[in-house]
Amino acid sequence: MADGPRKNAGVAELNQIDLQALAAGEKRTWDAFVIAAAPLINAVVRRTLASYRLSEEDVLDASQDVFVRLCARDFRLLKTYDPARAGLSTWLAVVARSAAIDHVRRRRQPSQSLDDVPETVLAVEDRHVEKLKIPPGLLTDRQVLILKYLYDDERDVSEIAQLLKIDAQTVRSTHHKALLRLRSHFKEAP
Amino acid sequence: MTAEGDSRSDREMWRSLALASDAAPASVPDMDFAAWLEGRLSEAEAARVEASIAIDPAFRRAALELADVLGNELPAIPDRMIVRAQALVDFAPGRDNAAVGFWRRILSMSANLGLQRAVTATVALLIAGGGFVVGGGLGESFGQRQSYSVTESGFVSVSSDASNEVSEFFAPDGI
Repeated sequence: MADGPRKNAGVAELNQIDLQALAAGEKRTWDAFVIAAAPLINAVVRRTLASYRLSEEDVLDASQDVFVRLCARDFRLLKTYDPARAGLSTWLAVVARSAAIDHVRRRRQPSQSLDDVPETVLAVEDRHVEKLKIPPGLLTDRQVLILKYLYDDERDVSEIAQLLKIDAQTVRSTHHKALLRLRSHFKEAP
Repeated sequence: MTAEGDSRSDREMWRSLALASDAAPASVPDMDFAAWLEGRLSEAEAARVEASIAIDPAFRRAALELADVLGNELPAIPDRMIVRAQALVDFAPGRDNAAVGFWRRILSMSANLGLQRAVTATVALLIAGGGFVVGGGLGESFGQRQSYSVTESGFVSVSSDASNEVSEFFAPDGI
């Protein structure tokens, strides 16, 4: 993601930040970092808090919490970032989401429109019905993930393909192979 | 995907099944999650992360939302978000400007509180002494005032300023 073509100048500038100077608390580097990171942090926080219907001030406060978390205790969190493992923008997005969820947990309970909630979440499960167990190893972790997204969360193939960085056809074939294995296993099972 | 009828029966079949393991999802460090989102993990590492994501609906949602935000145009932000965030380093403890840093270094050279106090007191005395010398000292100021008063009117006048209070103090001793 960080290596591919970016649509946002601010995110591209993040990769130019001198991380050592930033973690050392150099004011000019921090200011440049804030300018580059703020659009991404704002977008992640806004998206994370969308279902909570919070005010604009809450979004600002939650975004500020992310920055506070990054520079607190002599930039301890920022120093855990490893550029060899992931792009700064992706890591920041993950951190911003965690911080936003912590922020809202401290403030209020979520209120989500019923239309936004997948049917499976609202369904009352009959606990007395014993489900057949899928034995470990029958499906790969990726196959399980794709089936969960498709059937439990009712997501589109295109969304899953974007997330997994594979084309939609690969998602469909992985899904198809997983179903074949399940059918085959439970047909043969005594 | 398959035809509509097949899709429905596939969904029903999936919902009649459950994973054998109901274990709570293992926590995934932020750095690993970010590496997975970028597709940088090995197959084995990715499988471990995907197993955790698959079990937890909130985690699945987080992955999709982050991928979406990172792949799309970012919305404009209010200027005050930048101003507030930039101000954090100015005021955060442990961050210092050049002037404060100099005095902190001087004080940190003193190994204990007593030495720190001694250094502080010495600096205060130097500043006070320097000001006293630059101002000409009490004696010179008093002499000038005394001389001026006698020449002009033939007696020492008393006014309300501080130097005259000092004059009053010394006058009985004939200084």
